[in-house]
Amino acid sequence: MLKTTVVVIGGGATGVGILRDLSMRGVDAILVERDDLGYWTSSRFHGLLHSGGRYAVKDKEAAKECIQENTILRKIGRHCVEATESIFVRAPEDSEEFEQEWVKSCAECGISAVPISMDEAFKLEPNLSRKLLSAYRCPGAAVDGFRLLWQTVASANKYGGKAMTYKEVIGIETENGTVVGVKIRDRWTGAEEKISCDFVISASGSFAGEVAHLAGLSVNVKPSKGTLIAFNHRICNRVVHRLHKSSDADIFVPHGSITILGTSSIDSAPDDTSTETAEVMAMMEIGKITFENIYDYRILRVFAGTRPLYSADPNAKGRSASRGFVALDHAHDGINHFMSVCGGKFTTYRLMAEKVCDIVCEQLGVNAKCHTAEENLVDDPSPDLISRAKAVFPSYGAELASSRLGNEKLERVIKRIETQPEMKELVCECENVTLAEIEEVASEPTSHTVSDLRRRTRLGMGTCQGTFCAYRSVGAVNKENMPWAKDSVYLFKEFLETRWKGIRPVLWGNMLRDIELTRAIYDAALNLSGVEEIK
Amino acid sequence: MKKSDILIIGNGISGLFAACIAADMGKKVQILSYGAGTLTIGGGIIDVLGYDDQGKFIADPLKGMDGISANHPYAKTGAQTAKKALEAFLKITEEEGYPYLGSPDKNLWLPTAVGNFKPTCLVPRTMDTEALFKADNILVVGFDTMKDFYADMATKNLRERLSKNKNVEEFIVKLNFEYGRDLRDISAMDVARWLETDEGHRSFVDQVKGHVKANTAIVLPPVLGLEPNYKVLDSLKKELSCALIEVSSLPPAVTGTRLNKMLHSCAKKRGVQIIEKARVVGSEIIDGKCQAVITEGFDRQRKFYAEQFILATGGVYGGGIIAKIGAMSEPIFNIDIEVPKVQTDWSYKQLFADKKQIFAQYGVSVDENLTPVAADGSKPASNVKVVGRSLAGYDFCYEKSGNGVALITAYKAAAAFCGEA
Amino acid sequence: MAINKQHAIDPDKCTACTICITACPVTAATRKFRGPKMTGPALTRLRKLVSDDDPMLDYCSNCKTCDLVCPSGVPISTLNMIAKNEYYKTHPRKSKADDMLAHSEKMGKLITALPLGSTFANLGMSVGKSFGVMGAMGIAQDAKMPSYASESFISKFKKIKQTPYPRKVVFFSGCYINYNQPEVGTDLVKVYQKNKIEVAIDENFVCCGSPMVSGGYIDDARVNASKNTALLKSWVDRGYDIVTACTSCGLMLKQEYQELFDFEGMAEYAAHMYDSIEYLAKLHDDGQFDTDFANDNTKYIYHAPCHLKVQAIGRPSMELLPMIPGIDIEEADVGCCGISGSYGFKADKHEIAMKVGSKLFNRIKNSHAKLGVCECGTCRLQMENGSGVKAIHPLTVLRQAYGL
Repeated sequence: MLKTTVVVIGGGATGVGILRDLSMRGVDAILVERDDLGYWTSSRFHGLLHSGGRYAVKDKEAAKECIQENTILRKIGRHCVEATESIFVRAPEDSEEFEQEWVKSCAECGISAVPISMDEAFKLEPNLSRKLLSAYRCPGAAVDGFRLLWQTVASANKYGGKAMTYKEVIGIETENGTVVGVKIRDRWTGAEEKISCDFVISASGSFAGEVAHLAGLSVNVKPSKGTLIAFNHRICNRVVHRLHKSSDADIFVPHGSITILGTSSIDSAPDDTSTETAEVMAMMEIGKITFENIYDYRILRVFAGTRPLYSADPNAKGRSASRGFVALDHAHDGINHFMSVCGGKFTTYRLMAEKVCDIVCEQLGVNAKCHTAEENLVDDPSPDLISRAKAVFPSYGAELASSRLGNEKLERVIKRIETQPEMKELVCECENVTLAEIEEVASEPTSHTVSDLRRRTRLGMGTCQGTFCAYRSVGAVNKENMPWAKDSVYLFKEFLETRWKGIRPVLWGNMLRDIELTRAIYDAALNLSGVEEIK
Repeated sequence: MKKSDILIIGNGISGLFAACIAADMGKKVQILSYGAGTLTIGGGIIDVLGYDDQGKFIADPLKGMDGISANHPYAKTGAQTAKKALEAFLKITEEEGYPYLGSPDKNLWLPTAVGNFKPTCLVPRTMDTEALFKADNILVVGFDTMKDFYADMATKNLRERLSKNKNVEEFIVKLNFEYGRDLRDISAMDVARWLETDEGHRSFVDQVKGHVKANTAIVLPPVLGLEPNYKVLDSLKKELSCALIEVSSLPPAVTGTRLNKMLHSCAKKRGVQIIEKARVVGSEIIDGKCQAVITEGFDRQRKFYAEQFILATGGVYGGGIIAKIGAMSEPIFNIDIEVPKVQTDWSYKQLFADKKQIFAQYGVSVDENLTPVAADGSKPASNVKVVGRSLAGYDFCYEKSGNGVALITAYKAAAAFCGEA
Repeated sequence: MAINKQHAIDPDKCTACTICITACPVTAATRKFRGPKMTGPALTRLRKLVSDDDPMLDYCSNCKTCDLVCPSGVPISTLNMIAKNEYYKTHPRKSKADDMLAHSEKMGKLITALPLGSTFANLGMSVGKSFGVMGAMGIAQDAKMPSYASESFISKFKKIKQTPYPRKVVFFSGCYINYNQPEVGTDLVKVYQKNKIEVAIDENFVCCGSPMVSGGYIDDARVNASKNTALLKSWVDRGYDIVTACTSCGLMLKQEYQELFDFEGMAEYAAHMYDSIEYLAKLHDDGQFDTDFANDNTKYIYHAPCHLKVQAIGRPSMELLPMIPGIDIEEADVGCCGISGSYGFKADKHEIAMKVGSKLFNRIKNSHAKLGVCECGTCRLQMENGSGVKAIHPLTVLRQAYGL
């Protein structure tokens, strides 16, 4: 039986933030996640590190928190953040009064908003619609959800914190009204296990109601689904916001080699990540106001995530429900040492964790202060390591790999290539992911599927959407004889079907062409689905 | 020379084969091509009909065509024409010095790069899969630094599938190619080029020889030369005294490249004129007959006149059919293809749906003579025939029928235009 | 008709299918090149994100075979050239020869302006070669460089007396014909006069810019494009058609300008541009081509330049030349000769160029043809260099058959 002080349920941004914070304060903690880290909401968003500008008019408190955390994350999470800056643009459809109010509010919140001429805006972002009227530069940025989560866990690991993926909580155990442990089930083996603990924090986002239910309680979370569109290339080099009252499809975020347009807001079930073509079309129509040639850009895929909006009022909906976060101490409901944390923004994940951990530590009688803002998540690779990387990675590979991997893993990957030069082979030619990186990540105990490798490396996230790297990655993990890589056909299908889910609602033009190619390879040439009746 | 007897749009397998057949029958044939055709993406093997609509294996493709659903291209051609077409193809491969194996009435089980098997019908001799089933020892040969073939995965899966008394082993050939950051990854094409050299040939034989036991068949990625002949295969066979079988693999396709070269050579020999990079954007139709098709480039439009036209532009992938939001059309003859307005109705929830995918069957509808029929039942041009992947009514991936439909419909169209039924 | 600029630099049409890799002659010849798909559309996406050294970029020869085979209409080679241009803004050049080879017109002007300049230049080149000077300049030691003519085409043209005809063309001779092989230009005038066409030239035309684009000097090419566009447009406005006898000039003026630049009038004049043989083939289609040929019992082998193939005009030479009585001509049909303008002259590319061309050289040798035929000047040089068989322009074959 495992034993710890705090069990954190949920491997999203909130959960990993709490794990790291507790670990750094010297509190023993284990995080359990039912799927992979960042499988749900924390990767299913536009990857925007808010400057606060978007909230400046409506919610100054939130705006101030955003700019404060933005500044901290640019420093401690520099390998997850692309410090692109952002541009707020006003279209003829948008109110001029709002612009004035916004400028004032930004100043009040300490958010730099520098007005620029439209000529300059078009020079910075040539694809912007020529109909736009005004533009401001703000300190927004892009952040990689998967990477931030894994690097936060890596930081927690250094202090003894532990995260376990594919562990589903099936029971919360109490004695005399106080939590004493949780029961978990391994999603791969089915094995059940108990973790005894003194405290449980549910950071399970849209599933908070379901987790609370395990303890016989109810938490009123209103999941609100947001759809996102990923385009094949960087149509802008900065985050581009519409300067108006926050609305659907008004944010473009350049994200690595792609651009993400977000988002919509529809009440939904917590596990509803489906997307309808109509939602995509509605978003494209709005997006066209910002980028007039939007229909010329190739869509790679669409995806959706649910925002776990908390509401004390069961009738509140969508954007009107609070986006702030709440920490519910279930002592009020009769169970001690059990908290549910709901809502909040990705940008302020560290601050939320700090606030939650302050409460938890007080209850646990721990005096340690939070110092998560002072220490980088992962060490910077040394100049020596970078030059070693440059000597072995193919062009455009070293920098991408070093920001993906962090210092220690980068060194291991470099060693693989230094020992076996052929390990620099590109498994994913669209996102420049080497065989060495795939083998390194595949050998980690948290990898169980090719999709897990994808979330850690960007494998299959580019132009061909897995068409070529599916064969290479399945072959590579088979070669390494991973215990989880026994059934080749299962691995292929798991990876390709998840890619398909994002393409199906946008099955026209090149998206359909790409799927035809995928089927021609995996169905026609490799016969993954036909029965075999050999003699 | 812009007037021909038969003008073919597209130089994939169906366009080239139709050209060869028509030119053989004495017609002046011109091909307009935009891009190289998708032949070099595919494996250069002729799938004819591997599975029926329920996913049941079909042992005899010709028999499988009986009772096939009425809108399937094979329902328009019939088994008789199919047999003639495939025999004509076999004859061409013979004449070109790159003879294919197999018979139209029998499916073969070909190993793939995963190590499982797929049904197919006609294959080059480098894929003599019968030899695999006859052998007692299977030696899966990979190359240490080559991309896109994992011998251990193929070995493991072959072992699981083949009978227990077969001995399946793996051997990795060392390529000893120069390797470094600034050198490209090694593809099957690079290895094929290497095996065409004396040095590569020697090295392969020396390394593999000691591992070949009596009655062995070697299974390897498609690397037995890039030219449409069996020089590499035959010399290796002779020196190693065993069979060699290339697997069905992913692009870039060495075997597809060979077939592409062979068909090009055949067409050129027959005086077929090919105009490359000619993007056909429309047609001129008078009184229900196509007079000319119109190309467009960076300079100006051009008209290409002919008596008869064969549309071999491929499906959505090849660019012959344009898929838009809630709409699909054939752009040259302006034929609308009926599709659901809601995009998610174009497909099943699963990509590998264990049935024919919906979108895969979209294409141009034709009558029994392969003449296009518009959604309203009208026929836009009586002297046009549609062949290959542009056609509606089949899912080549699910059925394993891709190149078969291409060859058989191309044959029917060309022969009909030349006065043969 | 012009391609939207947005699309010229947009990698979105690529589906990563690898067809271009199977066709690329440089990919086949060396693993120093990543192949068109990677260097072009795939890395274009990453170049927007990070910058790095990129030694492979230099190996694309801009032969455009990738564009020819791409089923998706991706301007792969142009993506490569744009990337090369951007790359060399921040990285040192590998070869000292780049600048000289890209600006061949400067050299031509300089040499022909001097009395006996060409003699000294040609001599200088062979002397330079024997002393290893060429190697130091980044020019391949054993590459056969074009020799300079003693009198430029323009100067020769001025001495020709033409019969005026209502059908008029302006001939864009290009640098190679003007400075290296003026006889191709004079053959054009003779053949065109025979077909009742009056030929004009324009001394204000400048180098089309093709070698600049291939060398990564797009900004220089833009300057030339701006000049040429205005001139070409004004000739077309005056009722002239435009002909070129160099396929790279032709491609540059009618296609690559539109892909790379944005000047008024490009699409308008492009509608009136013809390859010199294509123009005659069009006359033939209209029943106006003069077939008053004498017998020619020579055996020829024809090589179609890559830059002709992508023009979507087929093989006009193979339509017209076989009409000459007694002629024995076949098409080589084995792909790129390897030279790609000035690519094969560079020290680090020469071996690749010769490897690419080896199939063609063997094909020429095995054909036992007396002469090679090709529209492109540097292709002809490469054919001669690789096979030892002299190669001439199809206009020269026609001129001889006309007995002129």
